[in-house]
Amino acid sequence: MRARIALAMLAVLALTAAGCGAGGDESSIVGKDTLVIGVKPDQPGLGVKKREGVYEGFDVDVAKAIAARVAKGATVRFVDAPSAKRESLLESRQVDFIVASYSITPERKTKVAFAGPYYVAHQDILVRRDETGIRNVRDLRGRSLCKVAGSTSWRRVQEERGVPVRLVDGESYSDCIAKLRNGQVDAVSTDDLILAGFAAEQGNAFKIVNARFTDERYGIGIHKSDIEGCEAINKAITALYQDGTIPKLLKKWFDGTGLELTDTVPQFEGCD
Amino acid sequence: MTMPLPSPAQTAQQTVQPAQPGAPAAPAPPAPPPAPAGRAAPPARRLLPRLPQRLRLRTVPARIRAWTSAIVIAVLALFGVAWVAIDDAAVGLRVIGRTDGPQVVATADLYYSLSDMDTQVANILLVGEQQLGGGREAALRRYEESRAKAGETLLQAADLADDEVERRTVQELLNGLSQYERLAARAMLLSDQADHPAGSPPAEAVASYREATKLMRLGLLPKAYNLTLESGSIVRRTYEEQHAAVQGGRVAVAVVGLVTIGLLVGLQVYLARRFRRILNPALLVATLVVTVLVGLAMGLLDRAAEDMRIAREKGFNSMLALSRARAISNSLHGDQSRYLLDRQEADTYEQVYLEKSQTVLYTPAGNLTAYYRELGRVVGEYPRRTDFLGFFGTEARNAAGGQERAALAETLKRYEAFQQEDRQLRAQARAGAVQQLMSRVAQSFQAYDEALVGLKNMHQRSFEAAIADGDAALSGWNYALPGAIVAAVALIFVGVRPRLVEYR
Repeated sequence: MRARIALAMLAVLALTAAGCGAGGDESSIVGKDTLVIGVKPDQPGLGVKKREGVYEGFDVDVAKAIAARVAKGATVRFVDAPSAKRESLLESRQVDFIVASYSITPERKTKVAFAGPYYVAHQDILVRRDETGIRNVRDLRGRSLCKVAGSTSWRRVQEERGVPVRLVDGESYSDCIAKLRNGQVDAVSTDDLILAGFAAEQGNAFKIVNARFTDERYGIGIHKSDIEGCEAINKAITALYQDGTIPKLLKKWFDGTGLELTDTVPQFEGCD
Repeated sequence: MTMPLPSPAQTAQQTVQPAQPGAPAAPAPPAPPPAPAGRAAPPARRLLPRLPQRLRLRTVPARIRAWTSAIVIAVLALFGVAWVAIDDAAVGLRVIGRTDGPQVVATADLYYSLSDMDTQVANILLVGEQQLGGGREAALRRYEESRAKAGETLLQAADLADDEVERRTVQELLNGLSQYERLAARAMLLSDQADHPAGSPPAEAVASYREATKLMRLGLLPKAYNLTLESGSIVRRTYEEQHAAVQGGRVAVAVVGLVTIGLLVGLQVYLARRFRRILNPALLVATLVVTVLVGLAMGLLDRAAEDMRIAREKGFNSMLALSRARAISNSLHGDQSRYLLDRQEADTYEQVYLEKSQTVLYTPAGNLTAYYRELGRVVGEYPRRTDFLGFFGTEARNAAGGQERAALAETLKRYEAFQQEDRQLRAQARAGAVQQLMSRVAQSFQAYDEALVGLKNMHQRSFEAAIADGDAALSGWNYALPGAIVAAVALIFVGVRPRLVEYR
C-alpha cells in the first residue's frame, strides 16, 4: 500500500517538475544583488584607486553605468584587477566582470568571454605640445622613444613597423612621462586612452599625435559560461552610446588632450 | 512558448494532491481516493471514523473505483506532460529552423552588402575612365545591387528587432545609410567629372570618399554587425529554453509513465487476488499501450532535442560564423582598394586589413609580412595541426567528418593564395597595383569566396537535414498521442466494468 501511495506522490512531484520545466541560468550576473567589478588601480584617467573600495576613471564610470543596467539596484563593489591576474579573477569567479583597459585578443578569448568592446583604443604617440616633427609612426625615425620595462608597445614601432628609433629605458609609463617632460625622450607610445589619461593629469604639456597604428579593442571580461550576462552588457553598451552616456564620459576624462575620440558604438566581439 | 493543452496536467495535479497529506499515516486504504475532490480528504487516521463508509474504501467496488480513478488520472497526466513536451520540441524546431534562425543568418548579409557598397565606390574612383575589371559600369551596377540588398536585409533586421535599443540601431542605420549615399555620390561625381586615368583620382573625390568610408567603417558596419549578434541571441535563448523544456518533459513522461504502469500492474494484481483470475486481458492491453506510448514518446523527445542541438551547433552557429567571416573578408578585400586609393590613409587601411585578416584567421603576427609567413605555415599544417584561432579556428575545431575538413582545407588554401596576391600587390608600384587588384587579386578573392560559400552551404544542408528530421519525428503525434490515450482509457473501463457488475 505504502508503495502505491509513494508512487502517487511521485506522480505529483513529476507533474510539478514538468510544470517548471526549463529552469533559469544559475550563475549569470544579470539581476544579481551585489556585483564585484575589477578595475585598474593605477591607470590615470581609466582606473585609479583613491582609497580602499573607492576608484575613479573612465573605466570605473563605464562599469557603474553598465552595472546600473544589467543589475538594477545592485550594490557595486570595486576591486583591483591587475593585468596579470585578470583571467584568473574571472575564472575563479572572484569578480563578476572586469573593465580595466582589457584588450580583446584571440588568446584571452580561449579563457574568458568578452562583452563589448566599449571602446576601440589605438596605439598612438604622445609628444610635447610644441613638437611639430612627429605626425605618424615613420616620423619617429631617428628620434628617441621611451621603452617601458615589461611592455611590448615599443616593439610595435621598432620591430613590427620597422622604424629605426632610439630606445630610452623607462621604469614605468609615469617615468616615461616625466622623461618626456624634461626632454630625455621625444615620444611615448602606447594605447591612446592611457596616454590621454597621463596627458590630462599634466595639464597642457603634451599632445597626442593621432597616429593610430593598431586597434586595441577594450572589452569587458566576463566568465566564459555567462553568455546571458555578456549579451546583457552588450545591450547596455549599445544603449549607453545611444543615450550619449559613453561619449559624455569620454569627454569628461580625455577632453583637451588632442585625442580624436570616437563617439559611435564599436563592433562587438560576440559572446560565444 | 505556447501551451495548447495545459488543462489535463493541471486538473490531474489538483485531483491527485488530496491523497498526499494522508499518505504517510494511512496503512489500510489503497492509493488515492476517488472523485468528489472537494470533500475527499482523509488527512489523518483520527478523521477516518467520521467519514462515510464509501470513502473509507471498505467495500470492493469502492476500491476498484478508487484504483480506476487513480489510473485514469495518471493516464491523463501522462497525456498532459507528453503533449506539452512535444509542443516545446515543435516550437524550438520552428523558431530555430524556419522563422528566426534563417532570418538571423540573412541579416549577416547586411554587413556584407554595406561593405560591398563601400568597396565598389572605392573601385569606381580607382579605375577612373579605364576599363579594368569591367570598368566603372560594372562597379556601379554592383554598387546599386548591394544598395538594394542592404535595404532589403535592413527591413528583415527591423522585423527581428525586439526592443527599443535594437529598433533605434536600425533607425540609426537607415539615417547613416542615406548620409553615406550622399557622400559617396559626391565622390563618384567628382571622379566622373575629372575623367582621370586609373589610380589617380582627383584629391577632392578622395577626400569626399574618405569621409564616406569613415562613416561606413565607424558608424554603419559596427551597428550592422552588432544587430546580427543581437538577433542571434534570440535563437540562443529559444534554444536553451526549449531544449531544457524538452529534456524536463522527457523526465516527466518517464516518471508519470512509470507511475501509470505501476498502477495498472497494481490493479491487475489486486483483481487477480480478489477475483481469483489470472489475467485481465483488457487491462493487460492497456498496460501495453501505455508502455509502448511512453517508450515512443521518450525516443521521440530525445530525437527532437538532439535534432535541435545539431541544427543549432552544427548548422546555425557555423552558418552565422561563416557569414560573418565572409562579410569581413569582403570588407578586407575593400581595404585593398582603399589602400591604393588614399595614400594619406594608407597606413590605417593596411592596419585594418591586418586586423580583419586576424579576425578571419588568427595566428600571432604583428605585421603583414609576419602574417603571410605564419599563414603559410598553419595552412600547410592543417589538418594535421590546428593551432590557429579566429573564425576559421573555431570552424576547424567544430569540423566533423572528412567532408567538412576537406572543404575547410580548400577554403584555407584559397585564403592563403589570396593573401599571397596581397603580398605582391603591396610590393608593386601603384599603377601596376591597380591593374593587379582588378584582375588577379579580384580573381583569387572570388575563388576564396566561392569556397567559403561552399563550406557555408555544407552547414546549411546539415542544418536543414536536422530540422527536417525533427519535424518528421514530430509529425502525426497530434493524432497518435490523443488516440493512444483514448484507447488506453477505454481499455481500462472495459477491463474493470465486468468486475463492478458482479456487485450489482
